[in-house]
Parts: sequence; C-alpha cells; structure tokens
Amino acid sequence: MSDTTTSDVDLVGDEATLNIARAALFAALVGAFAYVSFPFPGTPVPVTLQVLGVFLAGILLGPVWGGAAMVLYLAAGAAGAPVFSGGSAGLGILLGGKSSFGYLWSYPVAAALIGAVTHGGLELLDTDEIPVGRMVAGMVAGTAVIYALGAAGGMLVNDIGVRTAMVQFVLPFIPAEISKMVAAVLVVLVDSIRAK
Amino acid sequence: MTLTYEPGGSLAHGLDPRSKLAVQVAFATAALVYTTPRGLAALTGLVAGMLAAARTSPLWALRELRFVLPFVVTAPLLEGATLGSPWFVAGDAAAPALASYRIVLVLLVTAAFVRSTPVRDTRAAFQWLVPGRPGQFLGTGAALVFRFLPVLQADVGRIRDAHRSRLGDERPLAERISLLSVAAINRAFRRADRLALALQARCFAWNPTLPALRFGRRDVPALALAVGLSAAALHGAV
Repeated sequence: MSDTTTSDVDLVGDEATLNIARAALFAALVGAFAYVSFPFPGTPVPVTLQVLGVFLAGILLGPVWGGAAMVLYLAAGAAGAPVFSGGSAGLGILLGGKSSFGYLWSYPVAAALIGAVTHGGLELLDTDEIPVGRMVAGMVAGTAVIYALGAAGGMLVNDIGVRTAMVQFVLPFIPAEISKMVAAVLVVLVDSIRAK
Repeated sequence: MTLTYEPGGSLAHGLDPRSKLAVQVAFATAALVYTTPRGLAALTGLVAGMLAAARTSPLWALRELRFVLPFVVTAPLLEGATLGSPWFVAGDAAAPALASYRIVLVLLVTAAFVRSTPVRDTRAAFQWLVPGRPGQFLGTGAALVFRFLPVLQADVGRIRDAHRSRLGDERPLAERISLLSVAAINRAFRRADRLALALQARCFAWNPTLPALRFGRRDVPALALAVGLSAAALHGAV
C-alpha cells in the first residue's frame, strides 16, 4: 500500500517540464562538449567547447533556466558524472582539486548574466528577435565573469599573483573565446535551430 | 547506445544509491590525487571489482564508450609529438597518458553506476541530501544528466565523424564549431522535447513516491570503501 493519494500529487506544469528537460539535456551537452577539442592555430592549448555551451545556455534557455542548467551540470559532476574538462569528475574538483575550479563556479553566474543581458530581463525573446549587439555584449560580460573567477581560482590553488594568473589562466584563451563568440552568433542566426 | 539502467540482482543493484554515489565521488577524487602508475594500477583493480559487482563486462562497457575513446587516445599522442627529430618524446606524453587512463577508469565506474541504478534512485539520493523544491529539481535534473551524457556524447561523436568524412575539418574554426553545435543542439532539443512529452504522459510530479532509501548490511563494505578512498585522497593531497 502506498501512502500517496491523488490529491497529494503536485504535478510539474507543462512549461516547467519542458524547461527541466531542456536544462538537463543542456547540462549533459556541456558535459559532452568537454570532450570535443579543436586544435587552435597559434596557441598550444586546444579549444574545448564547454564555454560555448555556457554562452548558448544563456542565450537559448534564458537567464533562469540557463543558470539552472549550469547548476545541474555542476551537481551531476560533483556526484561523479565525468562532465568536467578532460572527463574529470567529483566533489573534490569543485572544492579546489584542480586549479581550473574557479571557471566551473563561474558557469551558472555567467549563463544567467548572458541570458539577462541578451534578453534584456527575465522575459525570453524569440531567437530571431535578439539583437546581435546585445548578444555579443552579454557574451563579453559572461566571459569577463568566467575569466575573473577562473583566474581567482588559479591564484588560490597555485598560490600565484595576479600577473601570472593573467598569463596562465586568461590571455592564452582570449583568441579562442572570440572564435566561440562568432560561432555562438552563427548558431543563433541559423534558421534551422529549433529553440524558441 | 545501450548504456542505461538494466534490472538485475547483482550486488551493485542491491546497494543503496547513496552508497554508490559516495563511492563514485570518492573514487573520482582519489583518481585525481593518485594519477600515478602505481595509484592507477591499484584503482584498476577496484574498477574490475566494481564492474564485477554490477555484473558488467569491461569489454561491453568500453564498447559503449567508444565515441569518447578517440579523445582519450589522441591527447597523449599530440602532447608527445614534436615538430622535428625525435618526433615523439615519450616523457611529454606520460602525464597526459596517465590522465587519459584515469578518465577511462572514471567512465567505467560511471557505466557500472548507470547500469545498476535507476534514475529514480539517484533522484531519491539527491532529495535526501538537499530538502525541498531545490532538492527535487537537482535530483531530477542530475539523474537525467547521468542518463543522457553518454547519449549526447555519442551524438556529438557521430556528428564529428559525419563532418570529417565530408572534409568538414578543412573549414575555418568558427564555422566548424558552429556547424557542430547547431547539429548537436538540435538533437539535444529534439531529445528534450520527446523526454518532456514522455514525462508528462507519465504524470511527472514534484512529489512522486520515491523508492525508500535504506542502508542494509551490504552497504557497509561500500561505505567503508568510500571512506577509505576519501581518506587516501585527503592523505595524498595534503
């Protein structure tokens, strides 16, 4: 016998169901993007696509659900799903096990910020109504948050100063970030994208 | 891709999901601290034990992970390669090779977990840890991430294969990235739509009757293992 009666059931609304499904799938997609690396001409670091996932979470899911998707990404990674860069996982990473942990904590904040700037608030615009300028401004602001927290994490774990942190954790990645912003704009402008 | 829960009566199936999550977190952390030949050899033994406990064949699990393996194999090769004689420096490739092997181990542990744990159980474990609506959201969402990560990895792998076979890797970088992302996001959204419909059809609720969580006698060794691995990781990190 179950203690549940039908009147107790608190159904998830239609819209929330779709948003939860999208947030979860987007979190998994960012995890899958951690495994995709492109050699980037001119720098020794290969480009992985996680940050592009953060950009697109903010732009396509908006500030609330984009941020929520990144929270799910961190939660699943903490619980052992190998979704962090290079296929790593575990609570230890979020607590500073790797010098790159600062980037991870920045993802929910950055996705929410990108969504808020792109859509000009909490209400979502249609993807074809989004002005490109606002989208780029959102991504620039999001990137600033990601790299500020990333460098702060590196300074904390590796015990280095601001200048070394800039050289190690920020500057080598800037050109690749610009490519990802261009890619994000192309993605959103393509008509065939199904997000609304 | 068939890396999904399968009902069964193995030792791992009978464990409380909280013990299994604790072992996973501890294992991932210990593997990160002990990315050395000796550490990984010891952890390999553990993984073999875990796969056996979930009655999962290692060969089957590796086959399921085949789309991830190219990434894992190429990293050390790229790192060791040089632009002139001697062409390959084994010393440079050693650290990435160990890291790649660690990834495979962690992925195998995840495979054993996914195979032996229904999504509902993972959700129940999260909701035990975080109470209220946030816990309900985290529980559902994180359980779905566990379930869909291998699926989307395979999607991305297939898309990359398709692009490569059509010489897509000769296009400029931003264009390649956007082509890959459009295809991957479209597939992810299509899967999300289908998932949402399936959830609605099954009365997706904030407060379903979740499986009762109960630690049993079989959980003692699992929890001891989690504590041991965490202690070893802490010892190695300090």
